[in-house]
Amino acid sequence: MVDEIAAIGAVLLLMLVTIATRVGGVWIMSYVKITPRIEAFLKYMATSVLISIVVPTTLAASPRIWIAVGAAAVAMIATGSALTAMLIGTALAAFARGFGL
Amino acid sequence: MSGDTSDSNRSKRPCFTANGVWRGSVEIAPIAAFVIPFGIAFGVAASAKGVPAEISLFMSIAIYAGASQFAALDLWHAPLPLATLALTVLAVNARHILLGAVLAPWLLQVPIMRRLAALLLLSDANYAQAMSARDRGEMDAGILFGSGLTMWITWIIGTAIGVLAGSLLGDLSRFGFDAVMVAFFAAVVVGQWKGSSDLFPWIAATAVALIGAHLLPTGWHIIAGALTGGIIGAWRHGR
Repeated sequence: MVDEIAAIGAVLLLMLVTIATRVGGVWIMSYVKITPRIEAFLKYMATSVLISIVVPTTLAASPRIWIAVGAAAVAMIATGSALTAMLIGTALAAFARGFGL
Repeated sequence: MSGDTSDSNRSKRPCFTANGVWRGSVEIAPIAAFVIPFGIAFGVAASAKGVPAEISLFMSIAIYAGASQFAALDLWHAPLPLATLALTVLAVNARHILLGAVLAPWLLQVPIMRRLAALLLLSDANYAQAMSARDRGEMDAGILFGSGLTMWITWIIGTAIGVLAGSLLGDLSRFGFDAVMVAFFAAVVVGQWKGSSDLFPWIAATAVALIGAHLLPTGWHIIAGALTGGIIGAWRHGR
């Protein structure tokens, strides 16, 4: 059994670590001059973060998640709304579950 | 909303207004609703680990970063391995540093207290939401704080339901909720496509993230893929 006081201390430590990651990026960038090259770096990193989350997660998941992601991508091209695309992808994933995928 | 703030989102300069906070908190609601099942899953997993309800809830309030909280649960045993816990949470959450860097040109132009408020509630989902909003010309950083607030509250509510009644609900993945975030992020990525010049940086990011997912410790493949995409993009398109 984990001691209650130790648990509270640990959560506070993890809170500080997480806050450091949340404010760290802006803090670092406050010392960097935003040149066109830095701007291009940030622009491509903006999308690359999400790509790096989505692709490995999707490939490691079950086929219904592949369907959800594929459907969301197609729906985004068709509608231009990320929210609509998310709802269509999620609905299809639930539907695919019915077929044991 | 009063009439004189209704045009705030049309202004060309970065700002942070109450109107923006309100719009952000409302616009993210359809996504935030799906955070509740994830919060429930965390509450259930924490209870199964023997973590007391009030500590689980405190984790969700104070840390508010789902993946890292699940990772911390794996290490939650007496005596608590503080250094390992801190390093694991740092690794899983290090991507926030990159999200913050991307938002910096925007956030550095708003007053520091508001900037910090927006950053404290930063998550993948409200970052993705802010990215697609900014593509539509959004300049009000208040949306980031508003959407963060909604996400934070739903994460806490979900956790509370999970620790109190989670075992009665069973496996929520049967509703397809586990597809929500990947589907949303995939859609935002597709929306960011500006033409064939994006192809090479995107492929490079994908390749490095995939290889990294097999070779690197948890979380670092996201950093590796993101930096690769950024560097290749800057190299090819920066002047």
